[in-house]
Amino acid sequence: MEAVLSVKETKMDGKMESVLSVKDLNVVFSGFKALSGVSLDVYDGEIVTIIGPNGAGKSTLLDAIVSKSPVFSGHIYYHGKDITNNSPHAIARMGIGRKFQNPNVYNELTVFDNILLALKGTHGILASIAAKLTKAKKGKIFDVLSRTGLVDQAFEQVSSLSHGQKQWVEIAMVLAQDPSIVLLDEPTAGMTADETYMTGEIIKSISKSHSVVVIEHDMEFVKQIAERIVVLHQGKVLAEGSVEEVQSNPKVIEVYLGHETIKAAA
Amino acid sequence: MANAVMGYKQSSFPTKLAAISGIALLIFIILPFVFGDFQLSLMSKLLLFGSLGISLDLVWGFTGILSFAHGVFFTLGGYASAYYLKLNLSADSNTYGGELPDFMVWNGLETLPWFIAPLKYFPVALVATVAVPALFAYILGYFIFRSKVSGVYITIITLAISSALTTFFVSQQAYTGGTNGITDVSKLSFLGSPIPPIGLYFIILAFTVFVLALSWWLTQSNLGLILRSINENEKRIAFLGYDVAQFKIFIWTLSAALAGMAGGLFVPLNQFISPVYLAVAFGTQVVIWVAIGGRGTLVGPLLAAILLGQVQNYAEKVTQDWQLVIGILLLVVVLFIPNGLMSLLPKQLSLANLSKPKVLQTSDAVKN
Ligand SMILES: Nc1ncnc2c1ncn2[C@@H]1O[C@H](COP(=O)(O)OP(=O)(O)O)[C@@H](O)[C@H]1O
Ligand SMILES: [Mg+2]
Repeated sequence: MEAVLSVKETKMDGKMESVLSVKDLNVVFSGFKALSGVSLDVYDGEIVTIIGPNGAGKSTLLDAIVSKSPVFSGHIYYHGKDITNNSPHAIARMGIGRKFQNPNVYNELTVFDNILLALKGTHGILASIAAKLTKAKKGKIFDVLSRTGLVDQAFEQVSSLSHGQKQWVEIAMVLAQDPSIVLLDEPTAGMTADETYMTGEIIKSISKSHSVVVIEHDMEFVKQIAERIVVLHQGKVLAEGSVEEVQSNPKVIEVYLGHETIKAAA
Repeated sequence: MANAVMGYKQSSFPTKLAAISGIALLIFIILPFVFGDFQLSLMSKLLLFGSLGISLDLVWGFTGILSFAHGVFFTLGGYASAYYLKLNLSADSNTYGGELPDFMVWNGLETLPWFIAPLKYFPVALVATVAVPALFAYILGYFIFRSKVSGVYITIITLAISSALTTFFVSQQAYTGGTNGITDVSKLSFLGSPIPPIGLYFIILAFTVFVLALSWWLTQSNLGLILRSINENEKRIAFLGYDVAQFKIFIWTLSAALAGMAGGLFVPLNQFISPVYLAVAFGTQVVIWVAIGGRGTLVGPLLAAILLGQVQNYAEKVTQDWQLVIGILLLVVVLFIPNGLMSLLPKQLSLANLSKPKVLQTSDAVKN
């Protein structure tokens, strides 16, 4: 615990270069400010958990990072490079992987093909025509499938899977992309307690080699994985810190007053 | 786990399907020797229509872009071929002698327009039958797919293109022959002698096999997986690093090139081309072949074009209301076999299924 804290302090001091840096971000939907002046740094190998009430702008923050929603003003830097409003495919190729709030997977394809599609490397037309399913690729695919517990479902059509399994398929897809930063939007929605726990363990193992940003509601789960928490409220960063710091923050308590999730957590 | 990986086989052409393909090809090789002149030319035409249907299947069946403009690509290839054949009429068989085509003389042209003149040469004409429709499709596709136009609006644009080009070709009589198009063309020759109908049939059969094989090869590769994913959800795949517009432009242009080649072969057979094939009615026919045959099946559109062509041929002989017969038939298929004729066949026989072979061939291997 001590060691972890000291690493964090180094990060906070800005001695380490951030993998992803969001600066003074504003996202506007036809006059409605979904994000106003949001700043956030994500460092190598850390897990950042974003919490906040429904409609706080959590998904919108990830949307802006991957260029799903246009940035009105402000900047997003990836390894120091300004990627604001770059095309989604370019951002994905740079090494930013995204799991969406509702499992966004290919229902008509098999689990295997979903992962094959996501696999790092073959994005050009000629490359995709010439691509061979090598032993190395198969190995990589079964590796992410075993990490997400999907080996037995490898050749089933995704439409036949449960909601929780679809969540894992999408997590496996993000893993297959081998991004340097993984953005997960409510990965445990619709999962049983056991599944949720397992997902937490997967996320912890991912964070050994990737930076992870997770949006989450379930405070039990947040406690399981969280290192640093960012609280969003009405498009602004309300608080930031460890689980304890955030839970004892008066502003956070006020926002969540009467809210089920923080009650459970308190 | 290790076994699962080892047991995984890349897609391959199953022997059963190989046998059926071989028999089908054999039938198509023997048929012309049994056919009379009429059937020979009809089947040649239907093979070309089928190839045109396969080309549309690549963009509609696989990628989800419904196009009514495939008749346009076909016809652009057709005109390139028609200019070549028209300009190679011997001077004495040309109505007015000399090298200027009759319709140009009627419309007061005195010299051959510079952009048509090079089509007198076979290599130029051959390249043009492919390049003109492909370039036209590329430019069109670039603007459609790079912009945010999507779904039904793309289809509306293809309808508009079809109407606009029909009007344009009709209005440019001096260059296009107007409503009549380009008629009375020369026969396609090889080494100075005209190719007989049976020779043309075999050229067309070879072309059809080429279109089918190329389309199969492309769609069973990772490209096919990407195209099907674009079809199911084009937004998602961008976040996996794929430039969706690039893939759409590619398959759209390739499809137009194949359609243009089919049109290029159609003119030596049909001996004329006209704006009828640019019109929405013909573009709709192509869509119908794909819908009836089965989207994303490749073989389906070919079978549908042949079957519908034959039914029309016999219906014409039996009743004056043959269009009613065809219409009812279409209705029956659309209502009762919504996934097309190919969906009636056992799954193993479908080329489309071959492009998702991983399910079929490997699930057992993995479960062990
Ligand atoms: N694409 C969009 N167009 C218009 N409004 C949007 C869009 N995406 C999000 N919003 C709005 O922005 C606000 C924040 O939404 P979201 O980021 O999804 O919240 P959260 O994920 O925190 O629940 C909501 O009021 C939502 O309606
Ligand atoms: Mg959300």
